[in-house]
Amino acid sequence: MNQTTEGYQLPCGRDVETVWDRLDEVDAGRADEHELDCRHCGAARDSLRMLRTVTGLLIVDDDAPSPGLTSRIMSAVRAEARRGDLVALPSAEPGAARVSEQAIAAVLRFAADSVPGVRSRRCRVRSIDIDTAWPKLPAGGAVIEVSLSIAVSYRTVAGGALDVVRERVATAATGQIGVRLGRLDLTVEDLYQT
Amino acid sequence: MVTPTEVRGGPEQVGAELDDATLVARARDGDVPAYEQLVLRYQGPMFRLAMRMLASRGDAEDVVQDVFLVVWRRLGQLQEDAAFVGWLYRTTTNRCLNVIRARRPTSDVDLVEHESLAPRSRPERTAEVDAQMTALNSALAQLTAEQRACWLLREVHGRSYEEIAEALGATSTAVRGRIARARAQLAEMMAPWR
Repeated sequence: MNQTTEGYQLPCGRDVETVWDRLDEVDAGRADEHELDCRHCGAARDSLRMLRTVTGLLIVDDDAPSPGLTSRIMSAVRAEARRGDLVALPSAEPGAARVSEQAIAAVLRFAADSVPGVRSRRCRVRSIDIDTAWPKLPAGGAVIEVSLSIAVSYRTVAGGALDVVRERVATAATGQIGVRLGRLDLTVEDLYQT
Repeated sequence: MVTPTEVRGGPEQVGAELDDATLVARARDGDVPAYEQLVLRYQGPMFRLAMRMLASRGDAEDVVQDVFLVVWRRLGQLQEDAAFVGWLYRTTTNRCLNVIRARRPTSDVDLVEHESLAPRSRPERTAEVDAQMTALNSALAQLTAEQRACWLLREVHGRSYEEIAEALGATSTAVRGRIARARAQLAEMMAPWR
């Protein structure tokens, strides 16, 4: 007898776990001689079948929490949202304009997502001290370095898609945020279907 | 600057369900909308697990809210994006066990008197099935909290023995034993065979 089921031995000597393991066999008409005759095993099978039926109802149950739960969770989450460091934007007027690295990452991810068969995943944005990191660039304007990981669909992604991602990310950085993309490290970390 | 929603519209954004790993990777970057998708996807199963563990909708919702906030705070510690769902189940299970330990020692006996664990009664369900469901709920309430957790995670939520063992800080052999005992007890309480 299996020690883990100690205490669940039937009067006939079989334990309940064995009856459970053999339930499908017996139901398929492959009962052994003992199983054909034993009323203890028969009664245990009835109970286990009933348990299995009701368990099936629990599995498909779709009882949902109250409708307000998602928004309660999300307001707590937003209160602790990580914004990342701020990147200074070029400004012709007095007064500073800054944008969070997290907001830049969101725009760049959406730009990469617009390429068919590409889903952006992690996007890390670092703002660069332009004078030391890129001394050959003309002064003025913020420069960012970005590392972006993506997943691609092996069905719909086209050759050259990575070049299109680079182009759209660079365009979004200058056109939509007003920072220059100094460097983009692109990693394809996964494939997905559809 | 254009807000992310205005550049939305890539083919992957329209109607397409993003895979978990993509959403988790984005959420780790601090992308709140990506995390909201994960909340919408998994609050239901976590709520149903907590509801059946605690037999109280209010306590179950409190647990789910806690779990998603804690997980958001600790997303950076997650080693692998694919481990996210297992981590949710583990966190939810542990919160439920803590709630039960903090209750008055006598209150486990009151579980049956608590709110009904039964999925809301459906017109298409027969009286016999309703009665079986009620019997299962009373039987579940008589298991120890650890047994109940093991049985629910395995039989209703389909988690692996290894994952359940990790959630409960037990060996997978011990988990198999608890599930076998729980199954035998539940079946016998529903329809006694001796």
